Amino acid sequence: MSQTTQLLFKNRKPGETIFLKEFSANGGYQGLKTAVGTMTPEEVRELVKASALRGRGGAGFPTGVKWGFFPADKPGTKYLVCNCDEMEPGTYKDGVLLQADPHQLIEGMILSAFALQTQVGYIFIRYAYEKQAENLRRAITEATEAGYLGKNILGSGFDFELHVHGSAGRYILGEETALLNGLEGIRPNPRLKPPFPAVRGLFGQPTTVNNVETLANIPHIVTGGAQWFKDLALTPDGSGTKLFGLSGHLNCTECFELPVGITLHEVINKYGQGMWKNKQFKACLPGGASTPYLTREHMGVPLDFASLEQVGSRFGTAGVTAFDEDTCMVAVTLNLIAFFARESCGWCTPCRDGLTMVRWLLETLESGKGTREHLEMLKDQLANISGKSFCALAEGAMGPVAGLLNHFEQEIVDHIDRGHCPFNK
Amino acid sequence: MITLTADIVRSTNKKLTMPTLTIDNQTITVPEGKTILEAAEALGIVVPHFCYHKDLGAVGSCRMCAVTVHTGPMPGLKMACLIPVEEGMVVTTGDDASATFRERVGEWLMLNHPHDCPVCDEGGECQLQEMTISSGHGIRRYKGDKGTYTNQDLGPYVAQEMNRCIQCYRCARTYKDYCGGRDFGVMGSRNRVFFGRFKDGMLESDFSGNLVDVCPTGVFTDRTFRFKSRSWDLEQADSVCPHCAVGCATIPGGRLRELQRVCSGDNPQVNASFICDRGRFGSGYASHPERPRQARHKDQNISVEDALTLLESQIRTAVQQHGPEAVLLLGSDRASLETNWLLQRTAKHFGCRVPVLNAHARRHQTAQIAAFDFSDRLASLEDVRNSDLVLVFGVDPLAEAPLLALALRQMVRKQGRVLLYDPRPVELPCEFDHQAFSPAGLQELLENGGVEGRHLRDLLGQAQRPVIVAGADLLGPLGLQSLHAWASGASNAERSCQVYPVLAGANSFGTALLSLPEQDDLLTRLESGKVKALICVETDPLLEAPHGERFSAALAQVDNLVVMDYLPTPLSTNAGLFIPTCPPVEDSGTFINNEGRLRRFRQVIKPGLSLARTGAGEHPSREFTLITPGGDPLPAALVLQRLIRQEQELSELHRHLAEDQPRLKELPTITPGAPGKRVKPAVTRPQKTDKLPEQPAGTFQLVVSPARYGSDLFSRFAAKLAPRLTSTRLYLHPDDLFERGLKDGEKAVVETDFGSFRLTVASRPGMAAGCALVENNGDCPQLIPGAGLSYCHIAPGGADE
Amino acid sequence: MTSIESQTTSHLLDQQTLAEFIQHAGEIEHPREMIIDVLRAIQSHHGWVPDEGVELTASILGLTPIEVEEIATFYDKIFRRPVGRFVIHLCDSVCCWVRGADEIAAYLKKVLDIEFGQTTADGLFTLLPSCCLGCCGIAPAVMIRQEFFGPLTPEKVDELITSLRKEALA
Ligand SMILES: Cc1cc2nc3c(=O)[nH]c(=O)nc-3n(C[C@H](O)[C@H](O)[C@H](O)COP(=O)(O)O)c2cc1C
Ligand code: SF4
Ligand code: FES
Repeated sequence: MSQTTQLLFKNRKPGETIFLKEFSANGGYQGLKTAVGTMTPEEVRELVKASALRGRGGAGFPTGVKWGFFPADKPGTKYLVCNCDEMEPGTYKDGVLLQADPHQLIEGMILSAFALQTQVGYIFIRYAYEKQAENLRRAITEATEAGYLGKNILGSGFDFELHVHGSAGRYILGEETALLNGLEGIRPNPRLKPPFPAVRGLFGQPTTVNNVETLANIPHIVTGGAQWFKDLALTPDGSGTKLFGLSGHLNCTECFELPVGITLHEVINKYGQGMWKNKQFKACLPGGASTPYLTREHMGVPLDFASLEQVGSRFGTAGVTAFDEDTCMVAVTLNLIAFFARESCGWCTPCRDGLTMVRWLLETLESGKGTREHLEMLKDQLANISGKSFCALAEGAMGPVAGLLNHFEQEIVDHIDRGHCPFNK
Repeated sequence: MITLTADIVRSTNKKLTMPTLTIDNQTITVPEGKTILEAAEALGIVVPHFCYHKDLGAVGSCRMCAVTVHTGPMPGLKMACLIPVEEGMVVTTGDDASATFRERVGEWLMLNHPHDCPVCDEGGECQLQEMTISSGHGIRRYKGDKGTYTNQDLGPYVAQEMNRCIQCYRCARTYKDYCGGRDFGVMGSRNRVFFGRFKDGMLESDFSGNLVDVCPTGVFTDRTFRFKSRSWDLEQADSVCPHCAVGCATIPGGRLRELQRVCSGDNPQVNASFICDRGRFGSGYASHPERPRQARHKDQNISVEDALTLLESQIRTAVQQHGPEAVLLLGSDRASLETNWLLQRTAKHFGCRVPVLNAHARRHQTAQIAAFDFSDRLASLEDVRNSDLVLVFGVDPLAEAPLLALALRQMVRKQGRVLLYDPRPVELPCEFDHQAFSPAGLQELLENGGVEGRHLRDLLGQAQRPVIVAGADLLGPLGLQSLHAWASGASNAERSCQVYPVLAGANSFGTALLSLPEQDDLLTRLESGKVKALICVETDPLLEAPHGERFSAALAQVDNLVVMDYLPTPLSTNAGLFIPTCPPVEDSGTFINNEGRLRRFRQVIKPGLSLARTGAGEHPSREFTLITPGGDPLPAALVLQRLIRQEQELSELHRHLAEDQPRLKELPTITPGAPGKRVKPAVTRPQKTDKLPEQPAGTFQLVVSPARYGSDLFSRFAAKLAPRLTSTRLYLHPDDLFERGLKDGEKAVVETDFGSFRLTVASRPGMAAGCALVENNGDCPQLIPGAGLSYCHIAPGGADE
Repeated sequence: MTSIESQTTSHLLDQQTLAEFIQHAGEIEHPREMIIDVLRAIQSHHGWVPDEGVELTASILGLTPIEVEEIATFYDKIFRRPVGRFVIHLCDSVCCWVRGADEIAAYLKKVLDIEFGQTTADGLFTLLPSCCLGCCGIAPAVMIRQEFFGPLTPEKVDELITSLRKEALA
């Protein structure tokens, strides 16, 4: 366990799930009572804006700003959707959170629904998280019985109903507009934007989609205040804490709640307890499979949105996957690209066919049959896929390719020169 | 500097600004809302694209149309199909970044594509080839595995070869989104998407053939055309579909004297770029094996020249001996405007009384209301597509005007509303409200209105772009006149309430426009006993007008029956003198469609027995002669001109026609393939009255509806349509069925004014009670739609022998 | 309502669940949103979704079979072909892969004597590769019946297979 301030994991007990009784005993639903009893929806939105909370689903868009675009005061049905698709390799924090403490999300959603004046909420949850879905269903029943959900919540006149909606696999469902299609029961290709979901979302109505962790933070912001929340981060533009899911070649591959802005060094060596089998650190994905690699030179970089952008990577979901010195980065990248190519929804050409091309190039290079021409082609594919696909999937897919070419081009050249993978001894 | 006309202005009410932008150093001003791609197109700059389609819109999936935008807050590579133009925008299409990207897109799209161009059915008209070349991609660098698919059997019309698919999604967007089909879709994901049906089987949509036109590569091809010709060997021309009065643009293709296929043409005002399957696969009538191709006098084959000489003398003798009444010239709503007008000239020439231009008197009267009273408020199908409220009275669009059904779907997709009043269990490929009113109930609603009528008129008054669709067959002249009053009442200074009449024949409007209201009908003239010679031009009243028995009886008094036609109808076979003519694909001429639009068609092929038939099984394949076998037929207009010895070029003919008929002033300016202008409005004619007959006790109102296939004579004589033909049933409301002690599937005998029929009964919950619905097709040719209200008795028909 | 409930559907869904679906579909505005729920219920009852399962889903929700098939074939956790009683989803994404998923895959193939995509002759096990399962902390991992097992070693694989076989016998 971490010694830093714990908000989201404050109730967590290994191997257990906390339900209403214990959740309430530890201060649960206080934020809701405060907000509903003493604040206007607009005040809640302003508070969230002031907290500088940024989306925890990967894109890191400031939540308050996003909420600011939402037509909260417009009459008619509006929706709040929680994104618990969490299918990006290396990312498992939402699953851990819901395994430990489902009411946190529910309180967060009721509060957010109040702030946004939405009457209906959905939690869209991936197929593999059936346990978590069960936890949520039970927690929803408890919350409804306690008067936190349903009609006239806590006597405020505000109504909110909440549903859990299961998926059946496919990473693209995490993309918010594909998710909305998935919820509606139509083919989950992403939608053209504009119009944005805030204008035309679920069933054509205004909709906000937020990540589990983002929503779970809202009660803490309401109870602790915006400045307090912001100050939890170790960097000036950071804000709050973050769930870091550790994986790969680390001794400890668990999920920790740590302050935003903690250095890579501390995450790897203190929380990850150093590299597995006493090897050397070579590289890592700092925030899930779509974020360009960090290397040893980045050990001192504080992990937050701005600092990682400065070094050409992204904070993403803060799923940190570490690789040791004996790992072939061409092979890692091939594995990642194979994932993205397989998970492409098949809608746009750069992703559907471009990633197939990139996978073939990486296969060729990894097998030692590649030439410098293939290397040049790889660079050219990067230039032509990144930022040019319909949605961000293909762009994310090229993140590791960008990292590979930036930091490990020599490794590719070695493959070409030797005619085989240098790590296959 | 070019200015694009504001053809989309109509669909939005707000004032439009016209931004000016620069593309590749050329400046253009376009209406707001247009995209970079459309602006570039207007400048003649080709930006390669796949998923964008003029009528399907832009979805941004293929990424082929990339250009570079140099201005605005977010400059850079953009999809031209998605970005609306902005004032002062600067765009380049040929810069390195966008050209390279498009080349990559070309390469990606071709990753899995087979190298089967030399044997591909799409060869010669493959958009993929064009776009790949224009994208600059030439050599495949990818050496990985290619995907392969197992194809489905989609029935007799559309062949599928999925390995050629490039996932532009156009097929699904056409079939599902545009046409509302629900048995075709997209399966799988990533680079394994499959476009097809749940299981093998014939595509159900009446618009399935559009897959062929819309697929940019050889995945979906016309199965009836497979292995017949390479597209570049086809003789093709801009034509007009003759199967109904919508007047869709088509491009038929023929070769070796055979009409081999029909593709959709493009008319933004009418059919956009889609046609129905009846029009596409219903062209077999032109090469029907029994098509009469020889002039004939009694049992003797003669030359057309001799036939004309004979005819001339018959006419002259009859007029001399018995006066102007003795010769009756009969025109037709499937004959061209030119032919019908020439009939009038022929009558003048020989001093006969004015011709009757449509054997079906009531249809003709109704068409006249459309052609005269409605002429200043006729809606186009484009108006229907852009309407916010359409009230449909007495029309089953899929049977009577299929593209109208598609137009309704488009307006519903844009949040418009359709309210439909019809006794039949009408289906539409979109959401709509259906009230099953009996024919008498409908007439009551239109004349007196009541609460429902008042409500509807209020809705019309409130709508921004209201359109009334009026079914001529079911409503008759009186119904149409009532609707005229509705439309006038719902119009105001800002906007008029428009009407889209649904008429029966391709040229119903044209024949109505040419003729005089006071003229007698065919039966009155024949039954007067004065007619000695009847000359039927491209019509068989036995099949095309009710009262077949009265007609047969009256015909017995006529000495000379002369028929000119290209269909093997009973009358053609029985004529004393027969002269073979040409269907529209072998002729150049004009139809006027439902919306009063002059629709020109151009000759596609010359008449003659197809080589496939003359050469079949022979060795050597055929005899060589200077005479085309089966090549005798002449266009009816030409036959008439020779008869009166005034042969003219078509353009000259059009000049005369326009002088004679001021409403057709624009005719000489219209070319085939152009959208076609509308006829000039006319003054309203005097009101007609039409009394409802009393209903005898225990009877049903008889509703005769065209079948979707096999009702128009063209499709009845088109072999390719056989799989879509249905057998005739007697449809009753379940309550009526129950009350008469009948069961689904049993036989019943229907006694009608047109004969008695023993039919299988079927229950249809969606139809009006108290009605007996029978479809007109080859099974029941005597029951002809549009005959007006009549009643029938129904009795159990006993068991099958 | 009753036309859907018949002998021919009882192998796909228990009649209680079917009745609930039909009722729910009648109550909500957009029955389409239930497609995945119904397909998953059929799959858990029948093991996989046969053509009749797609057709049943369509008739419950007022859709055409292709409208359901478009969805069923998009997701990889809906099986449109028969599978064994235990479907072993072996994660092949990066976290599991760097911790030895390839070796576990080879070992599983050996002990089950099947390739990916195949089912053992006794109909007990189907082996499928899967993208990241969301249990990256216990890599390499498999998912069976929405339960995770990891970190796996050949010995743990043996234990797992043995206990599943035992369960099948019971
Ligand atoms: C391919 C793709 C997959 C995504 N997957 C997820 C996901 O699993 N969970 C998530 O919260 N956001 C995911 N996102 C981001 C969402 O689109 C969206 O930005 C996010 O849910 C917004 O919530 P937030 O602002 O609270 O982060 C994904 C985006 C893309 C392009
Ligand atoms: S990038 Fe394109 S194909 Fe890939 S998931 Fe997004 S829309 Fe689908
Ligand atoms: S035409 Fe623009 S993206 Fe396809």
